[in-house]
Amino acid sequence: MEEVPIIEMKGIVKIYPDGTKALKGVDFSVKKGEIHGLLGENGAGKTTLMKILSGMLHPTEGKIFVNGKEVRFKSPADALANGIGMVHQHFTLVDVFDGLHNIILGMEGHGLFSKIDVEKAKEKLQKLMDELNFQVPLDVPVEKLPVGVQQRIEILKTLYRDVDVLILDEPTAVLTPIEVKELFEVLRKLKSQGKTIIFISHKLREVMEITDRVTVLRKGELIGTVNTRETTPKELAKMMVGREVVLKIEKPPKEAGKPVLEVKDLWVKGDRGEDAVKGLTFEVRAGEIFGIAGVEGNGQTELIEAISGLRKVEKGKVILNGKDITGRPPRELYDLGMAHIPEDRIHMGLVIEMSVAENSILGLHWRKAFRGPLGLIRWDKVKEHAAKLVRDFEVSVPSIEAPAKSLSGGNQQKLIVAREVSKEPEFIIASQPTRGVDVASTEYIRNYLIKLRNENKAVLLVSADLDEVLQLSDRMAIIYEGKFVGIVKPEEVTEEQIGLMMGGIKNES
Amino acid sequence: MRVDIKGFTKPLVESLVAIVIGILVGAIILAFSGYSPAEAYIALFNGALGSKYGLAMTLSSATPIILTALTFGIGARTGLFNIGGEGTVYFGAIMAIILTNLWGNVLMGLFGGILAGMAWMAIPAILKVLRGVNEVVSTIMLNWMAYFIALYIVLQKIPNPEDPNKTLAVPVSARFPIIMKGTELSWAFAISVIAALITYYILWHTELGYELRVSGYNERAARYGGINPKKAIIWSFLLGGIMSGLAGATEVMGRPPSYAISQGMANIYGYGFDGIGVSLVGRNHPLGIIFSGIFFGMLRAGATSMQIEAGVPLEMVKVVQGVIVVTIAIPGLLDLLKKVVRR
Repeated sequence: MEEVPIIEMKGIVKIYPDGTKALKGVDFSVKKGEIHGLLGENGAGKTTLMKILSGMLHPTEGKIFVNGKEVRFKSPADALANGIGMVHQHFTLVDVFDGLHNIILGMEGHGLFSKIDVEKAKEKLQKLMDELNFQVPLDVPVEKLPVGVQQRIEILKTLYRDVDVLILDEPTAVLTPIEVKELFEVLRKLKSQGKTIIFISHKLREVMEITDRVTVLRKGELIGTVNTRETTPKELAKMMVGREVVLKIEKPPKEAGKPVLEVKDLWVKGDRGEDAVKGLTFEVRAGEIFGIAGVEGNGQTELIEAISGLRKVEKGKVILNGKDITGRPPRELYDLGMAHIPEDRIHMGLVIEMSVAENSILGLHWRKAFRGPLGLIRWDKVKEHAAKLVRDFEVSVPSIEAPAKSLSGGNQQKLIVAREVSKEPEFIIASQPTRGVDVASTEYIRNYLIKLRNENKAVLLVSADLDEVLQLSDRMAIIYEGKFVGIVKPEEVTEEQIGLMMGGIKNES
Repeated sequence: MRVDIKGFTKPLVESLVAIVIGILVGAIILAFSGYSPAEAYIALFNGALGSKYGLAMTLSSATPIILTALTFGIGARTGLFNIGGEGTVYFGAIMAIILTNLWGNVLMGLFGGILAGMAWMAIPAILKVLRGVNEVVSTIMLNWMAYFIALYIVLQKIPNPEDPNKTLAVPVSARFPIIMKGTELSWAFAISVIAALITYYILWHTELGYELRVSGYNERAARYGGINPKKAIIWSFLLGGIMSGLAGATEVMGRPPSYAISQGMANIYGYGFDGIGVSLVGRNHPLGIIFSGIFFGMLRAGATSMQIEAGVPLEMVKVVQGVIVVTIAIPGLLDLLKKVVRR
C-alpha cells in the first residue's frame, strides 16, 4: 500500500478579489520526510499556494488533507496546530526585540498580565539549537543581526511551534553563497530528524542541490512533479517557462572610451544615519558596462541614489562628462544626459495608478516635445511618444490609457527601460533591472543594455543577481558594507572567488 | 479633451449606489422616529427640484461648497489632507468686503478673495515645507485661529454703522447680478463652475498639474521624476486657498439680501467643512465636485420644505442629510485612507 502523503492539496483554485486567477486548479502532494521543491517563475502561484497551505489565504476552491484527513484552515494558527509553519520571504520579526522575544512572541502565555516564563523558553530553544547544531544569539535586537541570522531566527520561531512541515519561501534570496551553504546544512539536519520541508524557489541550481522531488508551477497551473535525481536543470527550466530557454546574450568585445561618470571618494549615509557608502572611487566609461555585485543592503541603494541626485552626498564628488554634478537635483541630471532605471519600479520608477501614457513622460515631461503654450501638456504628443515606446520595446499593454498597475512586472520594467532610453542618455544607471521579471523580458532587457553599451553609452549596472552581473559587465566591482572588495573582469574570476568577496572576504590569490 | 471613460464608470456607480443606500438608511431613521419617509423625501425633492425657485435655491446653495470642495479635492489629488478651507472662507469674505468698499467693482472683490485665500493657506504650506508640520494638525488649528481673528475683524473693524447685526455690505456696483428674480441665485454660481473647470484643466492638462498629481500619488516617484515635491505642496495649498477664498468672496458678493457677514458669522460658517464631504462624494475630481456640490445644494434647499411640508424638524433633517453624506462619502474616504495608510 502506498504511504499516505503528509500534505495533499487537491484542485486548489484561488481568485483574488481583483479578479486575478492566481491558481487554476492545482494538485500538490508532499511525502513525509522529504525536501520538496516548489519551482516556478515570479507570478506562477508558488507563494499563493503555500500561503493557502499555511492558513494565511483561503482557497476559492479545493481541498487540503493533512495525513489523509481533510482540514480547513481559518488562520495561520490553525495550520500551526496541524504542524504546518511557514517562513516568509519578507521576515516577520520585530526589529527591536531580541531573538528570544521574537521567537516566543504570541506564545508567551495566556492572559494579559501572566508572567512570561523566559527560562523555560530559553531551555527549549537551546535544546532545539543543539539538536540542529546551529546557534543564534538570543539576546541581541534582531535589527543588529545579519540577514542570514535573522532567517535562522525565523526558522527557529517556526520550529519552536513544533511543526512537522516547514515551508520556506525563497529562503536564499537574501543570502550570500556561504550562508546558503549553511542553510542547506540546517535543512538536511532537519530532514534527518524526520521533518518535511517545502522549499520555494526559482533558482534551478538550488532546487537541484537540496530537494528530493520538485513540483513545477507555471501561471497558476501544475506542470508536473518529478524526482530530482531523475531530472536535469534544463528539463526543469523547460517546465518552468514552457520553452527551452538558454538566456542568449551576445556580447562582442569592445574597447571602452573616455570616462563618462567619475565617482571620487564618495561617502553617503543610510536612512538610519549610518555610513552606507564609505569612500567609493570608480569610473564608468563610454561603451562599457560597469557592474556592481553584492548582497543587497551593502550600500548599493544609497550609492545609486547619491549619484542620481536623490540622496545627499556627505563627502566626495560625482562627475558626469567632466562636470561636477554632486548634489544636483535629478531634473538637472536628466538634462545633462543621465537616465536611471531604479531598483524599485513600483514605488519609484512608475506611478502605478497613472496611465502608461502619463508614465511614459515621467522625468522628461518638461521637454519641449510635449509642451504647448501656457504650460499645457500636449497629450497628443505624449500619446504618440507612449505608443512608440510600447511598440519599440514590445511592451504588452491593454492600452496606453490603462493604469501602469495593470501591467505585469516584466512589462512595467520594459516600460521603464523604454522611457529611460527615450531620454537619449549618455549614462544609464540600471539598478536590479530584471528583478522579478519574466524570462523573456529579462533576456530582452539584458540584450538592450548590451546594445546601449555597443552604442558607446556608459552603463552602471547594479544587481543582486550574480549571473546577471557576470554576464553583462565589462568590469565589475563587488561591494560589501559600503566598500568595494575588489574591481575585477568577470572572465578572470571564478564564481567561488566572487562568492567569497560578496561575503566580505578579500581574495589573496 | 482627454476624458478617461473607463476610469469614471466605477466611481460613478459606487457613488450612485451609495446615494441610494444613504437615502434608504435615512428613510429607516425617519420611519423609526415616526415620520413618513415617503412624504419627507417627496417634500425634499420637490422643494429642491420641483420648481424654478427650488432649483435656483439648489444652485445657489451649491455655489460656495463647490469652491470649498475644490480646496479639499486639490489637496487630496496632490497627497494632502487639507481641511483648512473653513478658515480661509472667512478671510476671503472679509477681504472681498474691504476691497469692494474701497474700489466698488466685482474684479476687486474676486481679487480680494483670491489674495486672502492664498495668503492664509501659505501658512500651513510653509509650516509643512520648512518644518514638516502635518497639514491636518496645522489646518485644524488655523481654522480656529481664523475663526477668532475673523470674529474680531467682523465685530471691531468693519461693523455696519447702520445695522449692528452685520458688517459693511458689498456695494451694489460690486455685487453679482441675480440670475432669477426673487431667488438667491446669482452669477456667482458661474464662478464656481468655471473654477472647477479651470481646476480640472490645471490638474490634467498642464505640466504643473502633472507634477502635482505625481507628487500626490507617490512622492518618491515624483522626486525620481525630477519633480520637487515641496514645490508641489506649496502650489497645492495656494490653489486650494484661491478656491476657498473665492467661496468667501462670492458668498458676500452674490447672496441676497445681506451682501455682508452677519455678526456671528453664521452665514459663512461651515462651508469649508461641507466642502470636505462634497469633495469626497465627487471623488475629489473637479468635474465630480460640480455634480456632488449640486447634490448637496439640493439637500440644503430641500431641507426647508421637508421641514415645512412633512413636519420633520430641522434636527431630523440634518440627521438624514448626515447619513446620506456619510454613506456617499465612504467610497471616496476609503480610497483616501488606503492611500494615506500605504504611505
